[in-house]
Amino acid sequence: MPFNVPIDQAQADYPEYTFISPLTPGEQKAAFHVKDTQGQDLCLKIIAPNYNIDRVDREIQALQSISHPNVVRLIEYTRSSKPGQQKHCIVEEFIEGTDLGQSLQSGQQWSRPDASVFFTALFSGLAALNDLNIVHRDLKPTNIRVRTNGSPVIIDFGLARLLDQSSLTDTPDGAAIGTPQYFSPEQCRGTKHDIDHRTDLFASGCLLYQALIGKHPFWRDDITRSELYDAICESNDYLDEPDFLTLPEQWQVITGRLLKKERADRPHNAAQVEAILQKIREI
Amino acid sequence: MRRGPWHQFGDRSQNFVIEQLQQGAGVGVIISPRDIGMDHAIAYSQRYHGLDAHVLFDPQFYVPGFSNTKMETYPTNLTRTTISQTHQIMDPLLVVLVNALHAVNSSLSADGLIAPALIYEAGRPDIMQLNRRLFSAAKQVGDALGIPTYATVIIGNSAVASDQTIKEILSHATSLNCDGFYYGFEFSSERIPSSREIVLRCCTGGLTLACTGLPVLHAFAGPMALLSLGFGAKGSAIGHFKNLWQFTRSRWGPTPDQGGGGNAPPRFFSSSLWGTIICPDEIIQLPPTLQNQILTHSPFSSQVSSSRSFSGWPVWDAGKHMVHTICSVVSVIAANSDPRTNANSALTILQGAVTLHQNIATAGLSLRDNTNAYQRNWQLAMNDLLTNHSRDFDYLALLS
Repeated sequence: MPFNVPIDQAQADYPEYTFISPLTPGEQKAAFHVKDTQGQDLCLKIIAPNYNIDRVDREIQALQSISHPNVVRLIEYTRSSKPGQQKHCIVEEFIEGTDLGQSLQSGQQWSRPDASVFFTALFSGLAALNDLNIVHRDLKPTNIRVRTNGSPVIIDFGLARLLDQSSLTDTPDGAAIGTPQYFSPEQCRGTKHDIDHRTDLFASGCLLYQALIGKHPFWRDDITRSELYDAICESNDYLDEPDFLTLPEQWQVITGRLLKKERADRPHNAAQVEAILQKIREI
Repeated sequence: MRRGPWHQFGDRSQNFVIEQLQQGAGVGVIISPRDIGMDHAIAYSQRYHGLDAHVLFDPQFYVPGFSNTKMETYPTNLTRTTISQTHQIMDPLLVVLVNALHAVNSSLSADGLIAPALIYEAGRPDIMQLNRRLFSAAKQVGDALGIPTYATVIIGNSAVASDQTIKEILSHATSLNCDGFYYGFEFSSERIPSSREIVLRCCTGGLTLACTGLPVLHAFAGPMALLSLGFGAKGSAIGHFKNLWQFTRSRWGPTPDQGGGGNAPPRFFSSSLWGTIICPDEIIQLPPTLQNQILTHSPFSSQVSSSRSFSGWPVWDAGKHMVHTICSVVSVIAANSDPRTNANSALTILQGAVTLHQNIATAGLSLRDNTNAYQRNWQLAMNDLLTNHSRDFDYLALLS
């Protein structure tokens, strides 16, 4: 259930910004396109009162440490609780454009040069997260904005985890959080200690597959959650898709490797994938 | 990590290794605290560096409860023995370990740091946790010394029986923030591993590590060094004793007797057999054409020739000859950086060995020592690797 705040109420609560339009809300955040007093376009996210504060902290910590063109930039974090006037919001750069979901329509296949350019940039952003030991854990089309120039920006770090600060997460083993369609096998199994940056590589492998083939590697309309989990953990049917088999071998190798069930079989890091995609750009 | 053959230190290796390096065999040395005290190790590491070899120190936490007088000379020994019962390490002891690793590796001017780690066993997440902590200590030291830190991945006997268990261990190991891997595999007690299935698992595990793009040093490879470069390893460690020809846990346990092999005749390691033949007993039973094919010489085998009686060749020289021969072949293979090509080079050598063994059998000689038991199975295992893991080789090619 998305967390919705009427735009009028939001404007009343945050009068220092001019509210332009509501953006797609998340389960725990209502998002708006706003302008600050200098007229700069920004994205303001009002955080739900029942939001897990540790998760907010994680998100802020993650965002504060990154400066990369393919990762959303944090502008400000506000948390105040004066009597009768509670404010809890994140202000990020406003990314004009669309979300990736609009470019990943069923049956629509990207050209390989387009895929190479877009995903090279995406993996560059992921490599920046990797360098800081941050795992996003919820990469999906709605968490990747596409700028008007076509370049991707990773947003929404609400589920991000700093690998060297495991105490920051209170997610118990077995509790699956994130978006199942882009879960990795280790997320389906709910084994917290198996989640690392290669979890994000699996999700990005689903996205790359979707872009190249025009369909999700595991999802189908009538699938149940348990069938989806089974497919993610066990099925290699996606490798037999005719459109996959007509891809040049190098593209099959890198896409297939991102979708390996076992973390050890996936690429070692995002920078490696970025370099390979650059290498095979002309193929 | 230097590419090519490395010397795996064992009992009385110090001068043995110098002779090998003087003959141009080997690119580096892996010091074993079980076999040389720290003072001597420091002195010899200078000599090895003087011979243009790289030096690594294997802290040997494999059987942490074991100790001997040589190991006790190293500051790392305290941590080893302390964790033997609990398989845990408390923070204060981790600090002790950091200091100890720093002291040893800086004293030896090590060119890389091999992280301490226990043998990985099936169903033992506690060992993974412990190894992660041990690695983090090592990484601190490696970074402080400005040298690469290699994660030690020794797959124990309990784990080698299942592909899935090995994968889980490798998923853990590859999550470490390391600069390469020191990889070993525990086989059964055979003199040289011969099971097609298990050899394939060892090679597959190595290939998985190599696909990270980080360098892999195949530890305790022995004659299996022929296969190392074919599964993507960058280095392969070779020692002169049987218990260095595969990872042998018993090497870090109490020795029941003096050992030494008694008055056994020397075994001649032939690169064309990729195995040994008893010298002179078996060699002299063969026709000269086969003798000529078998006697592949090194600077340490001049005493052995088909025109002489072969008698009196010291067993010690047979060991030197074997290590030099393996190093020479591995060096030739290592000159090519493509693992698929290297796997095929190994296959060519193994095919020659299989044929030669068949010719020996046709000549009416049945070799002792089961020395012809593994070549065919290694060939099959390597073929399986190339066929079943073709995509991994493709991926390695993309990384290059």
